[in-house]
Amino acid sequence: MARWLTLKNLFSLFLIAWFAYGVWEARSYAYLAKIFPFYISLVLLIFAVISIFIELRTVVDEAEDLHGASSGSDLSVDWDMPMAVVWKRFGFYIGIILGVYVLIYLIGYPLAISLFICLFYRLVAKAKWVASIVAGCAGLGFLALASKVLGMDWPTGLLKLPWPLG
Amino acid sequence: MEAFFHSLTVLLTPSHLLLLIAGVVLGLCVGILPGLGGIVGMTILLPVIYGMDPHNAFALLIGMVAVIPTSDTFPSVMMGIPGSSASQATIMDGYPLARKGEAARALGAAFTASLIGGLIGAAVLTLIIPIARPLVLAFGSPELFMLAVLGMSMVGVLSGNQPIKGIIGAGIGLMLGAIGDAPAVTEYRYTFGIDYLMDGISLVIVGLGLFAFPEIIDLLIKGRPISEKAELGKGWLDGVKDTIRHKFIVLRCAIIGVVIGFIPGLGGSVVDWIAYGHIIQTSKDRELFGKGDIRGVIAPESANNAKEGGGLIPTFLFGIPGSGSMAVFLGGLLILGIQPGPSMVTENVDLLYTAIWSLALANIFGAGLALVLSKPITKLTVVPFSYLAPFMILIITFACYQATYSWGDLIALLLVGILGWLMKQFGWPRPAALIGFVLAGNLEQYLFISVQRYGLGWLTRPGVIIMTVIIIASLSASIVYQKKLKTTGQTAAKG
Repeated sequence: MARWLTLKNLFSLFLIAWFAYGVWEARSYAYLAKIFPFYISLVLLIFAVISIFIELRTVVDEAEDLHGASSGSDLSVDWDMPMAVVWKRFGFYIGIILGVYVLIYLIGYPLAISLFICLFYRLVAKAKWVASIVAGCAGLGFLALASKVLGMDWPTGLLKLPWPLG
Repeated sequence: MEAFFHSLTVLLTPSHLLLLIAGVVLGLCVGILPGLGGIVGMTILLPVIYGMDPHNAFALLIGMVAVIPTSDTFPSVMMGIPGSSASQATIMDGYPLARKGEAARALGAAFTASLIGGLIGAAVLTLIIPIARPLVLAFGSPELFMLAVLGMSMVGVLSGNQPIKGIIGAGIGLMLGAIGDAPAVTEYRYTFGIDYLMDGISLVIVGLGLFAFPEIIDLLIKGRPISEKAELGKGWLDGVKDTIRHKFIVLRCAIIGVVIGFIPGLGGSVVDWIAYGHIIQTSKDRELFGKGDIRGVIAPESANNAKEGGGLIPTFLFGIPGSGSMAVFLGGLLILGIQPGPSMVTENVDLLYTAIWSLALANIFGAGLALVLSKPITKLTVVPFSYLAPFMILIITFACYQATYSWGDLIALLLVGILGWLMKQFGWPRPAALIGFVLAGNLEQYLFISVQRYGLGWLTRPGVIIMTVIIIASLSASIVYQKKLKTTGQTAAKG
């Protein structure tokens, strides 16, 4: 629990740093470009400092209320697993996305994303190979269709492949 | 009046109808996927509407956003998780009904209520326009600035569980919006010398990053199927009859929906709870609520469709979006080159009527399609999320790349996505941030026009003073009201 609260506070500190940088950086701007960001970040900085004090003071209440914490206009975050697992899985999926990005950089978007779909089906969703390959091809087909009909474009990779693969 | 019917004839041409139906079908899909609501759906459409004729684009956008409160009922009723934030209260009685084998009755009632609620929303929007016209035309830059501040402050206060976090949340959006070139003079702000940031971050990236990305990651982390079982049971007609029998509930809750949709910040997520709380408070026999009372389905469903009509009013007439999805819609208007505000009641009045007719027709098509396609759609809810996730990642990365066709888009999506996920974890309201982001440009423009034209004197204009009083009053009132609402919501959730 303690670690969770620290991370929460770290995020608040990040906001304070962001707004402080906002004020600092805006000082040098020309007058008309300055008024908006300068005063906004100044006000936000004050609010963020107040907020982190509230946060630190209400640590006890928050800990009790943690599971229903962000009801309101967001869908509430309601984990039925330890936070350590949540962070581990978060890191895992962010890692996958970074991996896909690297693949896109190397072989271009359509092939990379189709490969990703296929492998994700096989390895994470535990689908059969046939289903995985069909899913990958469906992804590629969708991209080809969208680029033809809607005139959309995708990132090409280091490896130049013929349309619609690269 | 002539423009009113002219817009209908324009809308009934095949190309418009086709786009409207395309929007409706997309809205049905987005609503069924848990966690994804109007914000994500609209954002995905933004790259598509570039260069489109505004009437066509309206048919597509409004077609989609109007049916999400209809289709998000499927996951709420079938498995007790909300399809989007607007149908959380539907679970209270919808899910128990499904477990009793009466899912079809609950869905039938919900779709009928959604249909009627949506139509009432469109009707109110029609009636408001001539009344609001003189008011809109009296507004200058200082008043519009204060109105935007009013909207933002209400969004901030009402969209979270802590007012201060709401205000900072909106501020996060403003700060993201301040990145890039300044509107008044040549000055690049907060770019860290990165070329990509000189044009600012695109709305597509902020919308998908703050909303789609965290939802996809969360559902992957949870790793469970959307629905365990999918049995509809019988009773479609009973559901329809139930709604007709309770027509006054529908009418009352639809009006609640319109009014709440109109107020910036209250929007989506609370409208269903307010309608649900209202129906419990005004009913004599309350024992069945929470155990499968059909009135508990009808009330939130008529309110959440009606709110879209209410939400369009401030968005169109003042450029103040009432909710996250309206914020994206406002962004869409700007992409189409339409400036909301006074011009909407003068030269662009035909567009306004197109929006109203699209809203009404989309509700009819949406409810009809949801009824007809309920069987295959229900089957869709048993697909495990890990089968859908890779395709959703494809769609969001592909859509965000259309923003500027550069690698910066993909990197910005990842970074804003992580920011969005952290905000969600730590309880910082993301809708407020999105609205702040969309309003940042307008807000700054109104501010410097006011300062340039009136100096500090703009602060003493009567409209501005009145608005300041309203802001202070509404801030204090909403803090009190929110405490009350929370208690009502909790009692409703328990009872």
